[in-house]
Amino acid sequence: MKIYSSSTEYNYSFPTVTLAYFLRYPNPYSTHVMSTDVLDRHLDPLTNRLHTVRLHLKRSKVPAGILAFLPKDWVGPGGKNSSFVLEKTTVDVKEGWMKTESRNMEWTGVLSVVEQQLYKDMSVAEIGARDKATACKTTVTFVSRFGEKIRRRRKMRAEAREQDAANDDDTTEKQGFFARLKNASVQSTIELLGQKRSAQSVTNGAEGMRVVLSRLREGGIRGVLDGMRHDRMTLMGDDGLWQDVWRQGQSESSKKDSD
Amino acid sequence: MSASLAPECNEIKERYDTCFLKWYSEKYLRGNSAQDECAGLFKQYRSCLNKALKEKGIDQMIEEARETTAETDAEHLKR
Repeated sequence: MKIYSSSTEYNYSFPTVTLAYFLRYPNPYSTHVMSTDVLDRHLDPLTNRLHTVRLHLKRSKVPAGILAFLPKDWVGPGGKNSSFVLEKTTVDVKEGWMKTESRNMEWTGVLSVVEQQLYKDMSVAEIGARDKATACKTTVTFVSRFGEKIRRRRKMRAEAREQDAANDDDTTEKQGFFARLKNASVQSTIELLGQKRSAQSVTNGAEGMRVVLSRLREGGIRGVLDGMRHDRMTLMGDDGLWQDVWRQGQSESSKKDSD
Repeated sequence: MSASLAPECNEIKERYDTCFLKWYSEKYLRGNSAQDECAGLFKQYRSCLNKALKEKGIDQMIEEARETTAETDAEHLKR
């Protein structure tokens, strides 16, 4: 298991930061995020905390170092793939904190990545705190379980063989591929690669938040939505794919975008 | 607004998102939120989305991921 952690601060009020969090895709730093859906959302009547579960679909590329260890039919050419991320968020506006947790849903047999964030309102947290400041601490945990399932299966087979010494031609062949790998070192290589990558992805996440926050300051929610439209046009090309979605309220900004 | 995984749900998602953002920024964040006012729209959006998730065959995977979340949380806390 490896852990990466970092802290940052936003010079915006806590409520604004939480709003930006829900509005953060798409932004210029999130071109790999293809869709975002809300799976569940409820307001706890006792605590007044808002719980949200979202599903993001992200385009991803498996790093070459990991790709080398995977059977070819697991990924597309060049390691291109898309993967789902499950995100849970709890906001407590009264106590001034927001907790988030995002985890990958596929590849968990190879590398399980869990990103946790704690946002805290600094205007109430400490003496001497400034008016508009929100702290954010990010922790990313990687656990590679690579080979664990295979070891478990092998053990089960061994036990089965003790009871029944039948031939096991096909199992020896299947073990061949994995037997060449030293699972422990593969696990740690995978974890290291994950750690290296997430430093970049946490930085990009914060940059994306800053873009959304500045759009909020300039033009409110409207400003963020206009910005998103612009990002999407740049990303997809103005080919009509999103025209249905954005039919409403497209006046001046659409002319500017389609130039 | 962010796009839905299922293009056929984009329209209802946009209506729900718009409702949520208004409620969240004008009511919840200001401390006057007795209830979520967008429940009706959310129900419509969810029923569209659930159908799509089922058709794509990923409803099962999501269910499992949501269930295991609680287990692994406990595991991480112990370490």
